[in-house]
Amino acid sequence: MVSEKKTGFGTKILSNKIYPIVFLSIIVFVAVLLLMLVNSFTQTKILAEREAKVTTVLQKIYPDMNDFELKEDIYIILKDGDVIGYSIIAVGKGYGGDINTIVGLDKDYLVKEISVLSNTETPGLGTKILETFFTDQFKGLEPQDVKLSKDGGKIDAISGATISSRAVTDSVREAMEEKLEIIKSNNY
Amino acid sequence: MIEKQERLTAKKFWQELAKGIVITNPVFVLVLGLCPTLAVSNSLNNALGMSAGVIFVLLGSNIIISLLRKITPNLVRIPVFIVVIATFVTILSLVFEAYLPPLYESLGIYLPLIVVNCIILGRAEVFASKNSVTLSIADAFGVGFGFTIALIIVAFFRELLGTGGLEVFGKQLFSIPVLAESPMSIFIMPPGAFIVLGLLLAFFRMIGVLKHE
Repeated sequence: MVSEKKTGFGTKILSNKIYPIVFLSIIVFVAVLLLMLVNSFTQTKILAEREAKVTTVLQKIYPDMNDFELKEDIYIILKDGDVIGYSIIAVGKGYGGDINTIVGLDKDYLVKEISVLSNTETPGLGTKILETFFTDQFKGLEPQDVKLSKDGGKIDAISGATISSRAVTDSVREAMEEKLEIIKSNNY
Repeated sequence: MIEKQERLTAKKFWQELAKGIVITNPVFVLVLGLCPTLAVSNSLNNALGMSAGVIFVLLGSNIIISLLRKITPNLVRIPVFIVVIATFVTILSLVFEAYLPPLYESLGIYLPLIVVNCIILGRAEVFASKNSVTLSIADAFGVGFGFTIALIIVAFFRELLGTGGLEVFGKQLFSIPVLAESPMSIFIMPPGAFIVLGLLLAFFRMIGVLKHE
């Protein structure tokens, strides 16, 4: 009886068996609310940042470009209303995560230039996929030649970064094969 | 009386702060948090970005966990710590992606991995869940700066030997011509991290032993 008197309202809650479950649920709920809030603040900025990045890359690949249209994930590059090329985004599984590459094609469906948009590869090794000595190899190739030389193609892998090289190469080829079909059948 | 007590906490505040940096330096003395220390110490830029992230998360998690310490049930304390830490890490990575995209890209996978940084979980369990908010803040800064200093020292040697120069926020501080021409690239690759960290640990251990004698 005496001990019951001493236990206040607070300790009664704390010693309740379901209290840990309730407490953890509340913490998770608050965390989710907080993240939703932060996400809503940063979302537009993050999307704008990505969009701006794509546009600058396209501008670099096609210096003549003055407009582009986006149809079925294909960027149709326009100059004064005429089609001068197509760009697609290839996603490959690299050593450290997804590698997103912009593939710029000319209007004859050959590779004009590729540019790695984002990657999480090992700095100093896998990140060499960003350098021109690697990306320049893709210029002027047809889809069937976009393979590592050890797989029968025309791209030399970076020594020490075969996984990253293969991820870029294979994703570029697959994206080209898939999207060229759409481009040709729809006459974009 | 009140003044004396305030001075006492202030003294303790600085003590806790200094302790984290030198006596219990998380990397060189406790040998904790080696994953980020080895992985993102390949350049000063990455080291500074990672350190800023860790200090932010450590400060946030220490404050919240210290505030909740009296009502957190012992049974679910670890899940609570993890949720709190993961929340701060996610906030950090969203903010980095929105406002510092180049840094966000170069930290890559190691940014979300701050969640499992054992320094942060360690401080939550050992310190913040048992001490007042003020002391937890001091502890977070102390340990955070200790981690920062360690990361900067490792990154200094790795970038200098591996690239022949030092660069901070896109500005070249200096470069050694002979080294820059043919840098020892192994130092910016994973093996270099082990070599540099191993030698530094041996060096700090030696100082400790000499001091005792």
